[in-house]
Amino acid sequence: MSDLLFNTNLFDELDRFQRQMSSAFSGLPSSIRASRFSTFPQINLGSTDDSVEIVAFAPGIDPAKLELTVDKGLLTISGERTRVQSESEGRSYAQERFVGAFRRAIELPRDADPDKVKARYASGCLTISIGKREASRPRTIAIQ
Amino acid sequence: MNTQTQLAERNTGTFACNGDAQAQKGPAIVPAVDIYEDAHGITLWADLPGVSRDRLNVHVQDGNLFIEGQASIDTPDGLRLHHAEIREPRFARAFSLSADFDISKIDANLSDGVLKLSIPRREEARPRRIEVSIG
Repeated sequence: MSDLLFNTNLFDELDRFQRQMSSAFSGLPSSIRASRFSTFPQINLGSTDDSVEIVAFAPGIDPAKLELTVDKGLLTISGERTRVQSESEGRSYAQERFVGAFRRAIELPRDADPDKVKARYASGCLTISIGKREASRPRTIAIQ
Repeated sequence: MNTQTQLAERNTGTFACNGDAQAQKGPAIVPAVDIYEDAHGITLWADLPGVSRDRLNVHVQDGNLFIEGQASIDTPDGLRLHHAEIREPRFARAFSLSADFDISKIDANLSDGVLKLSIPRREEARPRRIEVSIG
Protein backbone atom coordinates (compact mmCIF):
# COMPACT_ATOMS: atom_id res chain seq x y z
CA MET A 1 0.00 0.00 0.00
CA SER A 2 3.01 2.24 -0.17
CA ASP A 3 1.81 3.67 -3.45
CA LEU A 4 -1.61 4.49 -2.09
CA LEU A 5 -1.28 8.25 -1.95
CA PHE A 6 0.37 8.51 -5.31
CA ASN A 7 -2.09 6.27 -6.96
CA THR A 8 -4.82 8.00 -8.88
CA ASN A 9 -7.10 5.06 -8.44
CA LEU A 10 -7.68 5.40 -4.73
CA PHE A 11 -11.14 3.90 -4.77
CA ASP A 12 -9.98 0.73 -6.40
CA GLU A 13 -7.42 0.34 -3.67
CA LEU A 14 -9.99 0.90 -0.93
CA ASP A 15 -12.31 -1.50 -2.63
CA ARG A 16 -9.62 -4.10 -2.79
CA PHE A 17 -8.70 -3.60 0.82
CA GLN A 18 -12.28 -4.01 1.90
CA ARG A 19 -12.63 -7.18 -0.12
CA GLN A 20 -9.53 -8.61 1.43
CA MET A 21 -10.76 -7.80 4.91
CA SER A 22 -14.13 -9.35 4.33
CA SER A 23 -12.61 -12.44 2.82
CA ALA A 24 -10.48 -12.84 5.89
CA PHE A 25 -13.48 -13.02 8.19
CA SER A 26 -16.19 -14.72 6.22
CA GLY A 27 -16.81 -18.26 5.15
CA LEU A 28 -15.15 -20.97 7.16
CA PRO A 29 -15.01 -20.73 10.93
CA SER A 30 -11.63 -19.37 11.81
CA SER A 31 -9.37 -20.74 14.48
CA ILE A 32 -8.68 -18.94 17.71
CA ARG A 33 -5.08 -18.83 16.55
CA ALA A 34 -6.01 -17.37 13.17
CA SER A 35 -4.01 -14.27 12.59
CA ARG A 36 -4.70 -11.05 10.79
CA PHE A 37 -4.71 -10.70 7.06
CA SER A 38 -1.38 -10.30 5.28
CA THR A 39 0.42 -12.89 7.30
CA PHE A 40 3.08 -14.69 5.39
CA PRO A 41 2.98 -17.42 4.36
CA GLN A 42 -0.74 -18.00 4.16
CA ILE A 43 -1.73 -21.46 5.25
CA ASN A 44 -4.46 -23.90 4.38
CA LEU A 45 -5.02 -26.91 6.58
CA GLY A 46 -7.04 -30.03 5.96
CA SER A 47 -7.06 -33.69 6.83
CA THR A 48 -7.84 -37.06 5.40
CA ASP A 49 -8.42 -40.31 7.24
CA ASP A 50 -4.68 -41.09 7.13
CA SER A 51 -2.96 -37.73 7.33
CA VAL A 52 -3.04 -34.06 8.16
CA GLU A 53 -2.26 -31.90 5.13
CA ILE A 54 -0.88 -28.37 5.38
CA VAL A 55 -0.11 -26.06 2.48
CA ALA A 56 1.92 -22.90 3.05
CA PHE A 57 1.76 -20.44 0.16
CA ALA A 58 5.32 -19.15 0.21
CA PRO A 59 6.38 -18.17 -3.30
CA GLY A 60 9.90 -17.14 -4.19
CA ILE A 61 11.81 -18.72 -1.34
CA ASP A 62 14.99 -20.70 -1.53
CA PRO A 63 14.00 -24.10 -0.04
CA ALA A 64 17.34 -24.17 1.77
CA LYS A 65 16.21 -21.13 3.75
CA LEU A 66 12.99 -22.74 4.91
CA GLU A 67 13.01 -24.34 8.29
CA LEU A 68 10.39 -26.75 9.48
CA THR A 69 10.27 -28.05 13.04
CA VAL A 70 7.86 -30.11 15.10
CA ASP A 71 8.07 -29.74 18.83
CA LYS A 72 5.46 -30.93 21.35
CA GLY A 73 2.73 -30.95 18.77
CA LEU A 74 3.57 -27.52 17.42
CA LEU A 75 4.68 -27.28 13.81
CA THR A 76 6.75 -24.21 13.03
CA ILE A 77 7.56 -22.89 9.58
CA SER A 78 10.19 -20.19 9.48
CA GLY A 79 12.42 -18.62 6.92
CA GLU A 80 13.25 -15.44 5.17
CA ARG A 81 12.34 -13.87 1.87
CA THR A 82 14.74 -11.39 0.39
CA ARG A 83 13.96 -8.59 -2.01
CA VAL A 84 15.13 -9.42 -5.49
CA GLN A 85 15.54 -6.10 -7.25
CA SER A 86 18.39 -3.71 -6.78
CA GLU A 87 17.49 -0.31 -5.44
CA SER A 88 20.25 1.51 -7.24
CA GLU A 89 18.32 3.61 -9.73
CA GLY A 90 14.84 4.04 -11.00
CA ARG A 91 11.67 4.19 -8.98
CA SER A 92 9.38 1.78 -7.32
CA TYR A 93 5.63 1.96 -7.89
CA ALA A 94 4.40 -0.92 -5.80
CA GLN A 95 5.90 -3.00 -3.03
CA GLU A 96 3.13 -5.27 -1.92
CA ARG A 97 5.07 -8.50 -1.75
CA PHE A 98 6.23 -9.66 1.64
CA VAL A 99 9.91 -9.18 2.46
CA GLY A 100 11.76 -10.27 5.56
CA ALA A 101 11.83 -13.03 8.10
CA PHE A 102 8.69 -14.95 8.89
CA ARG A 103 7.57 -17.57 11.34
CA ARG A 104 4.29 -19.35 11.65
CA ALA A 105 3.28 -21.98 14.14
CA ILE A 106 0.46 -24.45 13.79
CA GLU A 107 -0.88 -26.61 16.55
CA LEU A 108 -1.15 -30.14 15.24
CA PRO A 109 -4.10 -32.33 16.08
CA ARG A 110 -3.38 -34.87 18.79
CA ASP A 111 -3.55 -37.79 16.43
CA ALA A 112 -0.81 -36.45 14.16
CA ASP A 113 2.40 -38.45 14.33
CA PRO A 114 5.48 -36.18 14.41
CA ASP A 115 7.63 -39.05 13.16
CA LYS A 116 5.76 -39.20 9.88
CA VAL A 117 6.22 -35.75 8.40
CA LYS A 118 6.84 -35.27 4.70
CA ALA A 119 7.44 -31.84 3.21
CA ARG A 120 7.83 -30.74 -0.36
CA TYR A 121 8.37 -27.33 -1.94
CA ALA A 122 7.05 -26.89 -5.47
CA SER A 123 5.96 -23.83 -7.47
CA GLY A 124 5.98 -21.64 -4.40
CA CYS A 125 3.92 -23.93 -2.18
CA LEU A 126 5.25 -25.83 0.78
CA THR A 127 3.14 -28.95 1.15
CA ILE A 128 3.43 -30.76 4.47
CA SER A 129 1.86 -34.12 5.04
CA ILE A 130 1.78 -35.55 8.55
CA GLY A 131 0.67 -39.13 9.05
CA LYS A 132 -1.85 -39.98 11.73
CA ARG A 133 -1.15 -42.48 14.45
CA GLU A 134 -2.34 -45.96 13.71
CA ALA A 135 -4.54 -46.00 16.78
CA SER A 136 -6.50 -42.97 15.66
CA ARG A 137 -7.45 -44.17 12.20
CA PRO A 138 -11.10 -44.88 11.67
CA ARG A 139 -11.90 -48.55 11.76
CA THR A 140 -14.96 -50.67 11.64
CA ILE A 141 -15.54 -52.94 14.55
CA ALA A 142 -16.79 -56.38 13.80
CA ILE A 143 -19.94 -57.24 15.64
CA GLN A 144 -20.02 -60.72 17.09
CA MET B 1 1.35 2.22 -15.01
CA ASN B 2 -0.68 3.84 -12.30
CA THR B 3 -4.09 2.38 -12.93
CA GLN B 4 -4.92 -0.88 -11.33
CA THR B 5 -8.20 -2.49 -11.95
CA GLN B 6 -9.51 -5.70 -10.68
CA LEU B 7 -10.59 -8.11 -13.32
CA ALA B 8 -13.22 -10.09 -11.61
CA GLU B 9 -15.74 -9.16 -9.01
CA ARG B 10 -15.40 -11.38 -6.05
CA ASN B 11 -18.29 -12.98 -4.34
CA THR B 12 -17.23 -13.33 -0.73
CA GLY B 13 -19.86 -15.92 0.03
CA THR B 14 -18.52 -18.51 -2.32
CA PHE B 15 -15.69 -20.84 -1.65
CA ALA B 16 -14.09 -22.92 -4.32
CA CYS B 17 -11.45 -25.51 -3.72
CA ASN B 18 -11.40 -27.13 -7.12
CA GLY B 19 -10.66 -24.89 -10.04
CA ASP B 20 -11.39 -27.19 -12.93
CA ALA B 21 -15.12 -26.96 -12.82
CA GLN B 22 -15.05 -23.27 -12.11
CA ALA B 23 -16.07 -20.74 -14.71
CA GLN B 24 -13.34 -18.74 -16.37
CA LYS B 25 -14.40 -15.51 -14.68
CA GLY B 26 -14.98 -16.83 -11.21
CA PRO B 27 -13.80 -15.28 -7.97
CA ALA B 28 -10.14 -14.41 -7.94
CA ILE B 29 -7.38 -13.28 -5.63
CA VAL B 30 -5.51 -10.09 -6.45
CA PRO B 31 -1.88 -11.18 -6.33
CA ALA B 32 0.65 -9.02 -4.52
CA VAL B 33 3.07 -7.29 -6.89
CA ASP B 34 6.27 -5.29 -6.83
CA ILE B 35 6.69 -2.83 -9.68
CA TYR B 36 9.94 -1.13 -10.41
CA GLU B 37 10.92 1.14 -13.26
CA ASP B 38 14.32 2.12 -14.58
CA ALA B 39 15.64 3.55 -17.83
CA HIS B 40 15.11 0.29 -19.69
CA GLY B 41 11.54 -0.31 -18.72
CA ILE B 42 9.36 -1.80 -16.05
CA THR B 43 9.96 -4.93 -14.08
CA LEU B 44 7.01 -6.51 -12.31
CA TRP B 45 7.06 -9.37 -9.83
CA ALA B 46 3.84 -11.09 -8.87
CA ASP B 47 3.28 -13.74 -6.23
CA LEU B 48 1.40 -16.63 -7.78
CA PRO B 49 1.89 -19.61 -5.47
CA GLY B 50 0.78 -22.93 -6.86
CA VAL B 51 0.43 -21.68 -10.43
CA SER B 52 2.27 -23.76 -12.98
CA ARG B 53 3.46 -22.43 -16.32
CA ASP B 54 0.72 -24.02 -18.38
CA ARG B 55 -1.96 -22.58 -16.10
CA LEU B 56 -0.63 -19.05 -16.28
CA ASN B 57 -1.96 -16.65 -18.86
CA VAL B 58 -0.24 -13.31 -19.43
CA HIS B 59 -1.58 -11.26 -22.29
CA VAL B 60 -1.84 -7.71 -23.53
CA GLN B 61 -5.05 -6.50 -25.06
CA ASP B 62 -6.07 -2.94 -25.94
CA GLY B 63 -3.22 -1.51 -23.93
CA ASN B 64 -4.01 -3.53 -20.84
CA LEU B 65 -1.79 -6.16 -19.36
CA PHE B 66 -3.64 -9.12 -17.89
CA ILE B 67 -2.13 -11.66 -15.53
CA GLU B 68 -4.33 -14.65 -14.82
CA GLY B 69 -3.35 -17.89 -13.19
CA GLN B 70 -4.98 -20.95 -11.80
CA ALA B 71 -3.36 -22.54 -8.77
CA SER B 72 -3.36 -26.28 -8.46
CA ILE B 73 -1.98 -28.23 -5.57
CA ASP B 74 -1.79 -31.99 -5.38
CA THR B 75 -3.87 -33.10 -2.47
CA PRO B 76 -4.87 -36.62 -1.51
CA ASP B 77 -8.39 -37.83 -2.09
CA GLY B 78 -10.92 -37.31 0.62
CA LEU B 79 -9.35 -34.12 1.93
CA ARG B 80 -11.51 -32.12 4.31
CA LEU B 81 -10.48 -28.51 4.62
CA HIS B 82 -10.38 -27.17 8.18
CA HIS B 83 -8.77 -23.79 7.83
CA ALA B 84 -8.14 -21.78 4.70
CA GLU B 85 -6.42 -18.47 4.21
CA ILE B 86 -6.28 -18.87 0.43
CA ARG B 87 -9.81 -19.60 -0.66
CA GLU B 88 -9.92 -19.11 -4.39
CA PRO B 89 -7.49 -20.99 -6.57
CA ARG B 90 -7.53 -18.24 -9.19
CA PHE B 91 -5.32 -15.17 -9.40
CA ALA B 92 -6.15 -12.23 -11.64
CA ARG B 93 -4.88 -8.70 -11.98
CA ALA B 94 -4.78 -6.15 -14.77
CA PHE B 95 -2.72 -3.06 -15.44
CA SER B 96 -2.96 -0.44 -18.11
CA LEU B 97 0.19 0.06 -20.12
CA SER B 98 1.13 3.34 -21.68
CA ALA B 99 2.22 3.51 -25.30
CA ASP B 100 5.84 3.96 -24.21
CA PHE B 101 6.25 0.25 -23.76
CA ASP B 102 7.14 -2.26 -26.39
CA ILE B 103 4.57 -4.96 -25.83
CA SER B 104 6.13 -7.24 -28.43
CA LYS B 105 9.24 -7.60 -26.27
CA ILE B 106 7.72 -8.47 -22.92
CA ASP B 107 9.69 -11.18 -21.22
CA ALA B 108 7.96 -13.44 -18.70
CA ASN B 109 9.60 -15.86 -16.34
CA LEU B 110 7.92 -17.98 -13.68
CA SER B 111 9.94 -19.61 -10.94
CA ASP B 112 8.92 -20.88 -7.49
CA GLY B 113 5.53 -19.27 -7.82
CA VAL B 114 6.85 -15.81 -8.63
CA LEU B 115 6.21 -14.30 -12.04
CA LYS B 116 8.77 -11.81 -13.28
CA LEU B 117 7.73 -9.65 -16.19
CA SER B 118 10.16 -7.36 -17.98
CA ILE B 119 8.41 -4.75 -20.06
CA PRO B 120 10.93 -2.73 -22.06
CA ARG B 121 10.39 0.81 -23.20
CA ARG B 122 10.29 1.55 -26.87
CA GLU B 123 13.63 2.63 -28.21
CA GLU B 124 12.32 6.12 -28.96
CA ALA B 125 10.83 6.44 -25.46
CA ARG B 126 14.08 5.76 -23.63
CA PRO B 127 15.66 8.67 -21.86
CA ARG B 128 18.55 10.12 -23.80
CA ARG B 129 21.03 12.81 -23.31
CA ILE B 130 21.15 15.56 -25.87
CA GLU B 131 24.50 17.01 -26.58
CA VAL B 132 24.54 20.78 -26.60
CA SER B 133 26.96 22.19 -29.08
CA ILE B 134 28.54 25.55 -28.66
CA GLY B 135 28.22 27.61 -31.73
